[in-house]
Amino acid sequence: MPKILEVKNVSKHFHLHIQNNKRIAALDDVSFEMEQGEILGLTGKSGSGKSSLMKCIYRTYLVNSGEIVLTTASRGPVDLAKASEHEVIEMRKTEMFYCSQFLSVIPRVPAVEIVAEPLARKGKTADEAREMARDLLDRLGLPRELWDAFPATFSGGEQQRVNIARAIIAAPRFLLVDEPTASLDLKTKNVVIDLVLALKTQGASVVLITHDQHTLERMSDRRLHLEHGRVSEMATV
Amino acid sequence: MNDTDTGWLLRVRNLTKIYGDPISNSVQYTGPKFGSNICPETDAIVACAEINFDLYPGEVLGVVGESGSGKSTLVQLLYFDQMATAGEVQFSALDGGQTNILTLSNQRKRHMRNHLMGMVYQNPRDGLNFGFSAGGNIAEKLLMAGNFHVGRIRERASYLLEKTEVPVKRMDNTPATFSGGMQQRVQISKAIANNPPLLFLDEVTSGLDVSVQAKVLDLIRHLQRELGISMIVVSHDLAVIRMLTDRTMVLKNGRIVEAGLTDQILQDPQDAYTQLLVSSLL
Amino acid sequence: MITAKKFQHTYNYGFIDETTKKEIRRKLLKAVAIPGYQVPYSSPEMPIARGWGTGGLHASLSLIGPDDVFKIIDQGSDASVNACNLRDFVKRMTGCKTTFDTGEATLIQTRHRKPEEILTERQIIVFQVPQPEPLRSVERYEFKTRQMHAEADYAKMWVSLYESYVKFGAIMQGAGYPVRVNGRYIMTPSPIPRWDVPNLSMAPCLHVFSAGREKRLHCVPPWTKVEPLEFEDVKFCVEEFRDIVCAASGGDRAFMDEIYESETSRKYVMNDSSFLDKVRAGTRPPQRLFTNPPSAPTAS
Repeated sequence: MPKILEVKNVSKHFHLHIQNNKRIAALDDVSFEMEQGEILGLTGKSGSGKSSLMKCIYRTYLVNSGEIVLTTASRGPVDLAKASEHEVIEMRKTEMFYCSQFLSVIPRVPAVEIVAEPLARKGKTADEAREMARDLLDRLGLPRELWDAFPATFSGGEQQRVNIARAIIAAPRFLLVDEPTASLDLKTKNVVIDLVLALKTQGASVVLITHDQHTLERMSDRRLHLEHGRVSEMATV
Repeated sequence: MNDTDTGWLLRVRNLTKIYGDPISNSVQYTGPKFGSNICPETDAIVACAEINFDLYPGEVLGVVGESGSGKSTLVQLLYFDQMATAGEVQFSALDGGQTNILTLSNQRKRHMRNHLMGMVYQNPRDGLNFGFSAGGNIAEKLLMAGNFHVGRIRERASYLLEKTEVPVKRMDNTPATFSGGMQQRVQISKAIANNPPLLFLDEVTSGLDVSVQAKVLDLIRHLQRELGISMIVVSHDLAVIRMLTDRTMVLKNGRIVEAGLTDQILQDPQDAYTQLLVSSLL
Repeated sequence: MITAKKFQHTYNYGFIDETTKKEIRRKLLKAVAIPGYQVPYSSPEMPIARGWGTGGLHASLSLIGPDDVFKIIDQGSDASVNACNLRDFVKRMTGCKTTFDTGEATLIQTRHRKPEEILTERQIIVFQVPQPEPLRSVERYEFKTRQMHAEADYAKMWVSLYESYVKFGAIMQGAGYPVRVNGRYIMTPSPIPRWDVPNLSMAPCLHVFSAGREKRLHCVPPWTKVEPLEFEDVKFCVEEFRDIVCAASGGDRAFMDEIYESETSRKYVMNDSSFLDKVRAGTRPPQRLFTNPPSAPTAS
């Protein structure tokens, strides 16, 4: 299978100028590859660098050295570490989707609209998009009366459902998910897992962070274990 | 930022504004390293200098900084409210981006302001004429774009007011009788009257009550999504930047100290000053 | 008693000294060359106060020669007090022939009206103008109005017409309706009624507008297009005088004065006195009449 992602010698540290120039190391010479259609699970203790690695891929964090080459459908291989802001914005619209650990709440927008939004870029009409959003929220078990409510007041689990729905509704080609099942009950966990596996059959590639064994076992093809910002183990599940 | 990139809407290089008598070293002896905008030799004020960026269609660029950072000056230069001291600015919607718009004649600048740009000021009195009705203010932009049919002007004005949630039956009242938030919304309808590809927003919600601020920002975000307008949003408030923008530039003492994706600026600020700003978020 | 000859005053021909006349003539040439553009001129002192027709006199006395036949009207009338006084003054200063007959005059000075009779290429008409700046009502600063004219930035003018229509259902400007001259400058035709405005366009005569107090000259040369400002759906129209007949002559289709006879009744008389005389004598001269456009329905 062709490669979807190549991470080469990525190192990242934080330099906190206003806290006495403290340096905090996050990642140290991380390298790995992913194939298209693969689900890669990132594991490791809290603070081992999993979320940081994911954010480096999504370009929320800037790496200090190394390359992160994503094979895109529209423009071939792109080194995300060196891409211009404009390129990254474009890629975030069509190529690369991110579901963070906590829903970054867009205030005063109803749950349905938040979930429907990525479909607008795929050319769906507003009504079609909302219909699909409702459908997905239903499958994820979000109570109907919350669909038109603002997620700022939802519980953790409810917010996570909205978060996941938004990330997968537009059938992304490359997906980064951080703890997608953390606040969910077993039934919903399996719904989420099934949805992501369905994406995989359509050719999507997924990088997954989870501490939940059940999710890890059901979803990932390979695991990458991080310790103190370094790759300690790479194994097939 | 690659000079061979195409597809940009606005390309700004070395935009500079110096008040007073500039000597060739004014730019060298001012800036964030010196913590000052004032040239030590001539007392000239370097409001902004060495400003370089590209803006693409549909993008929202935030410009954040504290007082004296030059952020308002930057948009004033781009909107021709002030004359730049130096720099090249190219606008793809005009001449395919071949002309430096800072060197255009007054008439052509006015043409650009009417057709290709919109501006919303912090103070509604700067953007609206309180001697005219709300509809009249919008009509001004439409008239200058060559629409001389009163019926169609009123139709378009009603449509825009409705879109910005200003009651249409107040179209013939002067904005002096409106609340602050409604005045801002009239400004917004005026600014987008001719469907410009580029919109400037200069501290548009500073000074408004928080609930009103929220409404105005929601409206701006909604319009941006619907119309796909490129925007440059100036604010001292990072929360506004976070809500509206894709990319951000941080200004200090008239220079850009950091520029990047908004989420990166907020979560992984590199520069010391940016880190200070981010940590000051309430 | 002063008898020495050197203390006796004599007046220059036409009262104004030759240097000043030269200046005014040069400015007039410039004004003719740029139709509708306000040219500043050095407005000399006259034996009447500013605001009483000094501008008109400046232009007339710079243009007049011994062979001219001079006519002066005040709101259409040759016989009003001011018209009479100014006529006597001009006659004393120039020795010209004066007349009440529009057709006979070569130089006509007027306040707030253009004669009904069609003027020819041989005639010059000088209008007295109180406020030459058409944008003054929307912009009070002179440097800004000059910039607006220079850049043809007439947005505020148009918006004020729009506002008038929105507020009153019509553009309310009665006298001094703003016009666009030769497709470029917006000009005020002085406070003439709307009735006279279409008569300025493509006329064979030269129109000179002179504001003595504001010190500005502007011109509409012969055969120049003068278009009143109007919207596509709100068109310019003149006063109608429907079913109104002149009480003195029985004629119609001229601009009428409304005269109160008693507390309850009124009559109408033609305003242009020379024209009225000719109608009464049965020798009504040809006019250019304007037909109002059919009123178009507009969305309100």
